[in-house]
Amino acid sequence: MDALPPPPVDRTTPPSAGPIRLFRFPHFLRTRLANGLAVLAARHSELPLVSLELLMPAGGQYDPEGQSGLSSLTASVLDEGTRQRSAMEIAAAAERLGGYFATGADWDVGFLSTGLLARNRTAAFELLADVTFHPTFPAEEVERLQRQRVAEILRRTQDPSALADDRFLRVLYEGTAYAHPLIGEEESLTALDREALVSFYQRHYGLAGAALIAVGDFDPEALLREAESAFSTAGPAAAPVPPPEIRPPSRPGISVHIVDRAGAAQTELRMGHPSVSRSHPDYPSLVVLNGLLGGKFTSRINLNLRERHGYTYGASSRFSGRMGPGPFTVNAAVATESTGAAAREVLFELRRIREALVEPEELTETQSYLVGVFPYTMQTIGDLAKRLETLAVFGLPDDYYTRHLERITNVTREDVLDVARRHIDPEHVAIVAVGPAEALEPQLTGLGPVSVWSAQGEPQLV
Amino acid sequence: MSSAPPDLDLPFQYHRLANGLRVVLYRNAALPLVAVNLWYHVGSKNERPGRTGFAHLFEHMLFQGSEHVVTHDHFRLLQQVGGVANGSTWYDRTNYYETLPSHQLDLGLWLESDRMGFFLPALTQENLDTQRDVVMNERRQRIENQPYGQAGERLHELLYAADHPYHWPVIGYMEDIAAANLEDVRAFFATYYTPSNAVLTLAGDFDPEAALERVEAWFGEIPAGPPVPPVIVPPATQKGERREVMPDAVRLPRVYVGFRAPAYGERSWYAADMLSAVLTGGKSSPLYRDLVYDRQIAQDVGASVSPYEKGGTFMLVATARPGVEVEIVENALLDHLAAAATTPPAPDELERARNRMLTDAYSSLQKLDSVADLFSQFATYFDDPAGVATEAGRYLRIAPEELVELAATHLTEDERVVVQVVPREAD
Repeated sequence: MDALPPPPVDRTTPPSAGPIRLFRFPHFLRTRLANGLAVLAARHSELPLVSLELLMPAGGQYDPEGQSGLSSLTASVLDEGTRQRSAMEIAAAAERLGGYFATGADWDVGFLSTGLLARNRTAAFELLADVTFHPTFPAEEVERLQRQRVAEILRRTQDPSALADDRFLRVLYEGTAYAHPLIGEEESLTALDREALVSFYQRHYGLAGAALIAVGDFDPEALLREAESAFSTAGPAAAPVPPPEIRPPSRPGISVHIVDRAGAAQTELRMGHPSVSRSHPDYPSLVVLNGLLGGKFTSRINLNLRERHGYTYGASSRFSGRMGPGPFTVNAAVATESTGAAAREVLFELRRIREALVEPEELTETQSYLVGVFPYTMQTIGDLAKRLETLAVFGLPDDYYTRHLERITNVTREDVLDVARRHIDPEHVAIVAVGPAEALEPQLTGLGPVSVWSAQGEPQLV
Repeated sequence: MSSAPPDLDLPFQYHRLANGLRVVLYRNAALPLVAVNLWYHVGSKNERPGRTGFAHLFEHMLFQGSEHVVTHDHFRLLQQVGGVANGSTWYDRTNYYETLPSHQLDLGLWLESDRMGFFLPALTQENLDTQRDVVMNERRQRIENQPYGQAGERLHELLYAADHPYHWPVIGYMEDIAAANLEDVRAFFATYYTPSNAVLTLAGDFDPEAALERVEAWFGEIPAGPPVPPVIVPPATQKGERREVMPDAVRLPRVYVGFRAPAYGERSWYAADMLSAVLTGGKSSPLYRDLVYDRQIAQDVGASVSPYEKGGTFMLVATARPGVEVEIVENALLDHLAAAATTPPAPDELERARNRMLTDAYSSLQKLDSVADLFSQFATYFDDPAGVATEAGRYLRIAPEELVELAATHLTEDERVVVQVVPREAD
């Protein structure tokens, strides 16, 4: 049977939308066990998978002066041996359950996480509790990971992107825990020993300040009972450690920092300055501001640097959203001969956004992007876990994401101008460029005082 | 544990329009989203020596507007409704995709049909000039300014003869990118960007009957286009190991060991991929355990098998620890390959690889854009969208002896290519 020909389409204007189906943030359970452990759990039963994660107040921000890399190394040794299992037995157990076991630290928290087939959830709890409560920090494993990480640090000195990030943080945060890469530095890392790790673990890995994030194919009420029995003790620490105060040094004006890579094919560019905490009340407005300025393909910075000038494959900006005053960063890899021009275009955009109200269409396009894209960022078990982590780490209320879209929609042009003036500071940006110093220096001279560094971090004569 | 094939429930419809466009419809209403995914069966293997990188540069041009969509409006219109869009180019195919709020399905269909049917009127020299610069910066960023960035390229050049379509890199050589002109763009479009050379998948929250009608309305009037010229694949001639030492701006030497592997879709391809998972997939795998954990001669070790249509590559890579000679690391890799050619993996090694593989298969189905991409892939290569649901079972049915046979026949010294990347003297 022949079907009727479809009705003709009008190609000359974008088609109108169908009836909208609203997105609702999934239901989740949030409670606190008697031992202080916060639990956030949500069912996600599209696929037979489960993700369990413990977050501890043990991130890089807690690294003591001279001991950068301590939090990250401590986390990484947790799954290298317990009273019952060797490092290889832990890895093999997780893999047999159809998944992985990982530990690590970001700036805010240390984490232990496992993702595996849902039918193996009970075994996963047992493994997670064993690694959390009974790590033995075997001396030979500590030393092995120290050697591996020293080699990793050496490797970073050949990676232009890592060189740019490291120099940028050092310039912005000199004298604070944020100044060093999470992995640490060779000197601080080699000076650490088993005792330092055990003592960090004792202070930071108690359940009183911790959160369990569980997402997957399970009944949240049943999961809560399992968590209660698996994590019935409080762990090592008596009380949670409050996060340290990070005070970035003030800088007199724009400064230029070149890391020399003679013969490099391209230049890695970072521009920015310290900004505010993820918990700052302006954060929703900053999300809108950043979306418009450099947070999406059609943002001002990318359209300028990539689509108008062809200087780069892509340019973007972001507020990093840490507990402390994380950086605002503009990020691009640019053709070396265009580095000076690209840096000036970025400065132009940072100044322009503070000078006049944004166009009404720019704002509504950015808002409808941020609202419309939200369900897209909520598809996987990991996506949902990430949102619950944010609630837990930054102490945000249960209805935060339910109200988030409304807050985004309510931001006005005046709000954008206001937060741009208060939170974008083009006259104090640090400009970091990793590439051939000989070609870069003449292009960047005139923007601010120029310093030149070797890939190994030695100051060079200009 | 039993290794029964997993039961994946992925009901779909498969249609072919009169102009040859194949359409896969997969409904999943968990979220108010729809993924629109279009595969054109053209990639760098359809290029020829001296004109490389063209399929990829063309992909960039297809985001520069079409007759009814002005330059920059493609991304702007999608982003302003909360859409996420991109494209990518590979040896065998080029894909374009957007995930949208489901009530905006028509917007995605309009944009994709406009550039399939009405691209040429919008083509300008100015847009080509800008995108050539963007792509040259992409090549610098991904290849030339990356430590070890050119090793993969060199490995392919050594594995495949100069006239073999996998010899050159997908992104192309700099001088070829610089030489691309408007006439090339026009001819490439007319030859390859036709409905009969494409697959369109919709995945997400929509009514399949109504969606098919919309697809017919937007795409049905586009002419089928001429048949695509065949790709000539010369037979492999390698007799004896090939090796090369590449000095680079690196601190730690790294060794790549490569072989030509079976074509994607063949049973022995799955044996090759299982072998790579057994050897290096996870901290308890034999290579990680031996090289990184026990002997500590390597910083990392990995293996991969490329899913190429005309024959894949099997590649092992390991980075030496400071102070360790790269030959020691290479010999360790070769010893493990020799063992794999005589001894099947232990039952628990295979069980771990199978379970991880199952988790990976499930995980890849979590996002609508990746499900849609898989449907397009199986329809494009095998005319069989059901492959999305059955592929995990193909892995699980591979017997341990098949891993031995694969290693013994394909991963031999005579077929081997070795590339060592070593620190340059001046650095």
